[in-house]
Amino acid sequence: MPYPSPSRTATPWIAGSDAPEKPHLRLGFVPLSDCAPVVAAKLMDFGRKHGLSIELCRQPSWAAIRDKLLSGEIDAAHSLYGLVYGVQLGLGGPQADMAVLMTLNQNGQAVSLSNRLAQRLRQGESLSTVLAADTHRHVFAQTFPTGTHAMWLYYWLASQGIHPFNDVQSIVIPPPQMSDELARGRLDGFCAGEPWHAVAEAENVGQTVVTSGEIWPDHPEKVLACRRDFAALYPNTARALTMTLLEACRWLDTPDHRREAAGWLSGPGLIGRATSLIAPRLLGDYGGAPLSTSPRPVRFFAEGEVNFPYLSDGLWFLSQYRRWGMLRKPVDLPSMACSINQIALYREAAGALGIALPASDMRSSVLLDGKPWDGTNPEAYADSFAIRAR
Amino acid sequence: MLRILLVNDTDKPIGELRQALASHGFEVLAVVGSPHALLAAVEGQRPDVVIIDTESPSRDTLEQLSVMNAAAPRPVVMFSADANQQLIRAAVGAGVTTYLVEGIAPEKIAPIVDVALARFAEESRLRQKLAEVEQKLSDRKLIDRAKGILMDKRQMTEAVAYETLRTQAMKQGSKLVDVARQIIAMADLL
Repeated sequence: MPYPSPSRTATPWIAGSDAPEKPHLRLGFVPLSDCAPVVAAKLMDFGRKHGLSIELCRQPSWAAIRDKLLSGEIDAAHSLYGLVYGVQLGLGGPQADMAVLMTLNQNGQAVSLSNRLAQRLRQGESLSTVLAADTHRHVFAQTFPTGTHAMWLYYWLASQGIHPFNDVQSIVIPPPQMSDELARGRLDGFCAGEPWHAVAEAENVGQTVVTSGEIWPDHPEKVLACRRDFAALYPNTARALTMTLLEACRWLDTPDHRREAAGWLSGPGLIGRATSLIAPRLLGDYGGAPLSTSPRPVRFFAEGEVNFPYLSDGLWFLSQYRRWGMLRKPVDLPSMACSINQIALYREAAGALGIALPASDMRSSVLLDGKPWDGTNPEAYADSFAIRAR
Repeated sequence: MLRILLVNDTDKPIGELRQALASHGFEVLAVVGSPHALLAAVEGQRPDVVIIDTESPSRDTLEQLSVMNAAAPRPVVMFSADANQQLIRAAVGAGVTTYLVEGIAPEKIAPIVDVALARFAEESRLRQKLAEVEQKLSDRKLIDRAKGILMDKRQMTEAVAYETLRTQAMKQGSKLVDVARQIIAMADLL
């Protein structure tokens, strides 16, 4: 049964009391191809008609995004899904009550391997055979301990019988340095966002062997995040910001607009790499990378399918923290996801723009190992994996 | 004694803290300049304290160690209302982040943070001074240009032109340089 759309009901904020309490917002982001929605929101001035002016604040690390959200130096941010949940749990750092306002994109990440390993995989050998043939301990890098890339990497390795902590070493390297580390032979593979895989291929030091959309088709990736007290204190601002980013995501669904965005992203104040390294993969063209079977490319909107902050998406990250022993204390996982993901606020924002809303707060997926995930019983799901922390 | 690791991979000269900390009797293990060296140093030398530029991209490398290894230094919580966090907050303001192994009381690192703070407060004071000097210089140039315009278009002497600018500034209650900007903007109409 679909929920009533707020646009069809008389809500007080439509009647004039809906002005943002905070009209100027500082929005943090990390320079990656999938920061396109926040850049488009700024450059197309989508905030104006919602009473918002946006200042973009580029950050050099996810740790800086977290600290500046917590200190109030930035109001909201383009953030790794898992970063928000990690801060809520206080994993390895400060704890704070966090909010996910919407999903900004699905898919669009990848795993690259050194040329040598990629070539052997391409010849049909399994990853475990390829790794077993070497005597050195393999090193795989990702971007943030509780982040999405860590979880895609661990899931992909485990699906092929490789324990991400016991069988290989897992480290974090800033994405712009991944190519260099591969070239020096200090890294065997990495999972990160684009354009860093396109860069590794262009520099001929590594090859994309799997895209994240093959690991989990239409997985959640970056979210629009803020502190929970920000969303509670400034509900009109949070709603206006969500509407602004929804319009930016919708705008990016047109290929010509993505090409235009790729040009912006290549600027020195953003990613600072050639448009030719950014545009193709943003448009779904992987140039026939090995092992890529019609990858599910990055999506930003798809009539709103991308953007709903599904509880099952948040719960998946919690299930993986359990799986990998990062979260051992007892926590009521479903109620935690309910308080982080701002579903009511999202429904108001999307409804006001006439964007379709799903009937359920959960969705069903099947990941690359064939295991289904629909958000029910995350604890049992975490325990069901043969490869996990003991 | 606390063992300190300095990470120096940005423009901020964290490495220069080494001398200052050493002269206060602290043991500075190493100054590392890459995530690769950072990983090796944290695992091999087991520092109690890591000091890093808040804007360093290597911070996420440290975060991985914090989450995956309970014995590794963790980011210091700098947002609580606790009074002894004031100092740490000040350090954050100076753009320096501290990672600390569990079990060390924040007040124990106060002298270290003090030294870091003094170093970067001095640096930011110098930077500000330089900016002020540069500003004054460029103001001076604008005022000279405006004077030149008045001398040229109104056949004023230099002294009279300057006096005219000053009188106008006083009348408007604005700065001399702002009046100069107006004159330059309207030069074609004069």
